Amino acid sequence: MIQLLANWILSFDILSGMASSVAWGLSLFIVAALIFVFVALNAIVLVYFERKVSAFMQVRLGPMRVGKFGTLQTVADALKLLQKEDIIPRMADKVLFVVGPWVILIASVVTFAAIPFSDTLLAANMNIGLFYVVSISSIVVLGIVMSGWASNNKWSLYGAMRSAAQIISYEIPVGITLIAVVAVVGSLNLQTIIEAQGGTGNLFHWIPIPLPNWFIFHSPFLFLAAFVYLIGATAEINRTPFDIPEAESELVAGFMTEFSGLRWALFFLSEYANATLVAFLVAIVFLGGWQSPFADYEGTQIGFSIITIVALMWSFFVRTKTGRLSVYPLGLSLIITIAAWLFPGFAIWMASPGIFWMLMKVGSIIFMLMWFRWTFPRLRVDQLMYVSWKVLLPLSLINLMGVAVWMWLTGEIQF
Amino acid sequence: MSYFSNISSAITTLVDGMKVTMGYFVRPREHVTLQYPDEVWPIPTRNIGVGEIDSYNTIRSKLHVDFEDCIGCKACERACPVDCIDIETFKAGPEEDIGTTKNDTKIKLRVTSFTIDMSECMFCDLCTHPCPEDCIRMTPDYQFISNDNVKLEVTPEERWRDRGHLIYQFSKVSPIERAQRQAEAEKVAAAKAAAMEAKKAAAAKVAAEKAAVEQAALESAAHEAGEAPEMVTTPTANVESAPEAPQILETVVEEEAMEKLDIPMETITIAEAPVENPAPTETTAPPETSTDTEDSSKGETENG
Repeated sequence: MIQLLANWILSFDILSGMASSVAWGLSLFIVAALIFVFVALNAIVLVYFERKVSAFMQVRLGPMRVGKFGTLQTVADALKLLQKEDIIPRMADKVLFVVGPWVILIASVVTFAAIPFSDTLLAANMNIGLFYVVSISSIVVLGIVMSGWASNNKWSLYGAMRSAAQIISYEIPVGITLIAVVAVVGSLNLQTIIEAQGGTGNLFHWIPIPLPNWFIFHSPFLFLAAFVYLIGATAEINRTPFDIPEAESELVAGFMTEFSGLRWALFFLSEYANATLVAFLVAIVFLGGWQSPFADYEGTQIGFSIITIVALMWSFFVRTKTGRLSVYPLGLSLIITIAAWLFPGFAIWMASPGIFWMLMKVGSIIFMLMWFRWTFPRLRVDQLMYVSWKVLLPLSLINLMGVAVWMWLTGEIQF
Repeated sequence: MSYFSNISSAITTLVDGMKVTMGYFVRPREHVTLQYPDEVWPIPTRNIGVGEIDSYNTIRSKLHVDFEDCIGCKACERACPVDCIDIETFKAGPEEDIGTTKNDTKIKLRVTSFTIDMSECMFCDLCTHPCPEDCIRMTPDYQFISNDNVKLEVTPEERWRDRGHLIYQFSKVSPIERAQRQAEAEKVAAAKAAAMEAKKAAAAKVAAEKAAVEQAALESAAHEAGEAPEMVTTPTANVESAPEAPQILETVVEEEAMEKLDIPMETITIAEAPVENPAPTETTAPPETSTDTEDSSKGETENG
């Protein structure tokens, strides 16, 4: 994408005299700025989304006063945070206190360089994309320990130590789970991983249910691996129920206790950037990235017809159980189905891969993370370690071996 | 085996919890949030079984005065147990037409200030019943919110409480008119004081002359009849009823003063209350009624 942008810049008559290295640097800067803008806007949208989701799950309304339905609430909050006084505690380690939040933010923003948004839209097509993302995102723990230590506050230090222990523990099952997928594809390139998931096939290779060739439907082991990865990644990004580094009821705000204003906003930004990154990785590795769930034009029509029938059945189920008619899922799927049957162009667009499907999948995973957050209670520290070392690690190892055996059984690889 | 049962119970309970939250998420219209300034809880109704139900079945909260109907009788001010109502009235001029109330009663008093201190009000509803024009009433407005940021000046003695925003001014008379009326009233009071001085001087003069005459008569009688002790009581009785005579004089003096100031005669009655003019018959009244009238003598004399 950077090379494309550089070529596009040089294609203008006025700019054709520019040295190609200058054009390259300029387009590099533009892409970096675009990624940062995406992360910032993403955080603003997701904070609003999260507040609304939590409110609806708790029978509340959420922000309603700033803008229509409170849509400008997070904008107002961001402006407030930028205006706040810049406080550095007197006994804090000033250098680390200032650098810490930036390390966290940079570590979480830089990972987006390797994330493919669509088949053409990505900053850098790396051979080691998956490895790069996993390794860079673990620098976040360095920033957390830096900020926790620099705050010179017992809550901050506790939060930082917990965070270090937690992230290091959970990176092992997460890494092994991803290795299982890499074993299937034979590549660390994220684009190659997505391309390997195109088309449709049977569920778990033998069960005759036509489903897209996503890795979550590849084998029972990878199906489990998707959940292992989701749980491990939730812990890695310090989200509830694994939020002991910033447990409000125990540690005030953990490693963020002493931070305010812009620096706190950076923490918030990186938190949502990390959540988005995890959602992207789940979508890329297990849900086929920018691949459409429908193989072709007819598949779209039939697929949405099936979805409408399922929605109808679900509506009747809800009606018999609660006495209320839930019309939204049914109405939405019905509209899309009718549109798919009436307008072939729409169906073709739905069947073609693209950024729409990527963002749909990412949005669903983020919603799932929010759903986790507002449902589950926080784990105790020993329970956290138990889940990591005694449940997820054995499970991921079993998955790795099971995937190898599965591929030998299905004949995907031969010895 | 508790290892696997733990994992399975964890999964089932997590799924149960997620079902609950999703169940609420898909029904956002059943929220419990009240968008307060736009939505409020309905005011509870009640029926205490006294009087007309309509006037009793609401909560009693902020007081309201229909100022157009107020005749300035101060009945509410007197009824208030905590003295939170403060009314200032001035008599209207003879040609002045202030208007009529909704009951076609002609308003004779200009109410220049009608303040209710809602921080003192105890919501007893006692002020609303004496009102002859039904213009003061309890409203169900429990929020005490207004869009205009009016804060009434409080006296320095009360400033530590800083409750100016809870003192409500219902009078619609402009401050300029109020100042004019106050100045006029001060003039009248000054004239009254002058009249009083003159009256007292006249009374003293008359009494002195009378006493001198009586003394002279007594002395002459004593001289003529020698010792007559029963006659001594009569002069004292005369002295006691002596103020009866200057009463006429007083009004004459006042009328002269009023003509000078071009102010109607009735205005005097405002300042008349403090003047002690006890007739011998009035002093025999029971003590409890006399204390009552002292408390609210200022208002009663105006009402007539």
